[in-house]
Amino acid sequence: MATAALRLTGVSVGYSGTPVVTGVDLELRPGQRLALVGPNGAGKSTLIKAVLGLAAILEGTATVLDRTPARARALTGYVPQTGNLDPDFPVSVRQVVMMGRYRQLGWWRPARAADRRAVAEALDRVGLADRAGHRFGLLSGGQRQRVLLARAIAAQPRLLLLDEPFNGVDAVSQEAIVRVLRELSAAGAALVLSTHDLAVARDLADLVCLINGRQWAVGTPAETLTAKPLRQTYGSSAIDLADGRMVLVEP
Amino acid sequence: MNWWDDVMHRAVAEVVLVGALTGLIGVQVVVRRLSFFTMALTHATFPGVVAASIIGVNLLLGGVVTGAVVALGVAALTRRRGQDAAAATGVLVSGGFALGAALVATQSGFSRDLSSFLVGSILTVSASDLVVTVAVLAVVALVLVFCARPLLYAGFDPVGARASGIRAGGWDVVLLLTIVLVVVTVVPAVGTILALSLIVAPAAAARLWSDRLPVATVLAATFGVASGLAGLWVSSRWNVAAGASISLAATAVLVLSWGLRRAVRA
Repeated sequence: MATAALRLTGVSVGYSGTPVVTGVDLELRPGQRLALVGPNGAGKSTLIKAVLGLAAILEGTATVLDRTPARARALTGYVPQTGNLDPDFPVSVRQVVMMGRYRQLGWWRPARAADRRAVAEALDRVGLADRAGHRFGLLSGGQRQRVLLARAIAAQPRLLLLDEPFNGVDAVSQEAIVRVLRELSAAGAALVLSTHDLAVARDLADLVCLINGRQWAVGTPAETLTAKPLRQTYGSSAIDLADGRMVLVEP
Repeated sequence: MNWWDDVMHRAVAEVVLVGALTGLIGVQVVVRRLSFFTMALTHATFPGVVAASIIGVNLLLGGVVTGAVVALGVAALTRRRGQDAAAATGVLVSGGFALGAALVATQSGFSRDLSSFLVGSILTVSASDLVVTVAVLAVVALVLVFCARPLLYAGFDPVGARASGIRAGGWDVVLLLTIVLVVVTVVPAVGTILALSLIVAPAAAARLWSDRLPVATVLAATFGVASGLAGLWVSSRWNVAAGASISLAATAVLVLSWGLRRAVRA
């Protein structure tokens, strides 16, 4: 099937009529991994929310698995940044992952064996099966991120969107997340992740989209993570090393 | 003579019901950090109750209408400006209270009843008040049981909930309106000022003992009932205002829990 998992054509997204990102053109096929790369405030999160139908598409067309973003929600998964969640909230790791099954469960139907199995399997895949009964807020940042990934997996999405999944994440968790993401795309899921880590993008992505207010480049990591487009995206905080590699420094 | 013809029997029944009701909703208030909103609500329903009493309609109705307006206003503000609704909520606290006080002042011979709005009058609870409290308790329990999933998801991770197709904003309104209903129901018994302590203190105490929402909710309801009964007993034994002694009992439960919890951890 040649259907694109995500197709954005001349897309501008924003809130209350004010554009945050403009001119996005890209196509992502099932099994591909797309990295949205850009500085803080570039509009990466807004673009992800637009694909989920939570931010307005002001111009152009967005197609998610042949549907409008809002209608595709049953097929998409979302992994938010853990920093936005209240660590004092009394919710267990198992409960958080079970949220991924709510769409199948409805409001009040008791969880069935299949739901509990999906939750246990998802936790096992991210390596946190032994933490199911712990309170979410007591885990480390990296472990929380893995729990949110498990929640998304439990819903078996065909397109998975991750907002800065490696922000403040320890090495063990980063390794676990990368491994699961590779497994998911090998199984045919399309992935979109935002990051400002060029090494992650180079290592993990099939496709890179450089954005900062607008799309500056889209293509393979080899095409996009080079001096000119990076300098366009990041300005003077993109530094060209002598060996041809680029690094980013804080402005 | 029926059991509920006795003033003290009615008072006991009402504090048990009110304690359970405030405990149930209190956990949601504490977990969602809505204590300040609830305080604004208790004060803002005050002019509605006074206005209803002036024009001679049901006090509960007056409170529910003003409470609903406040709840929807706060929901809209929170939605538009993120978490920065505190200033507007603060204005509502004093503004609502001032409006109520002004309305009271326009009525000669009315000020005698002002204190019953402020601190409640558990001993004047009627049989129909009891019926209303039972009905509201049933409604709140049903909402919390049958809407537990969307309320949990929307409370914990509103953006994630919306991404999975749950209307988080709508569920916030459901929760705020449920809080309005509870506040308006318990105000005749414990008053506008004291209602907050009975909603927040038992729930905050319960949260110290359990990280699990259902456990904390049952515990909070138990603490609420115990505070009510203890307060009522102190009130009748030493002739203290019932609303005040119930509030103090709830506060004592929180302080005791905090102290015990520290002792256990140490």
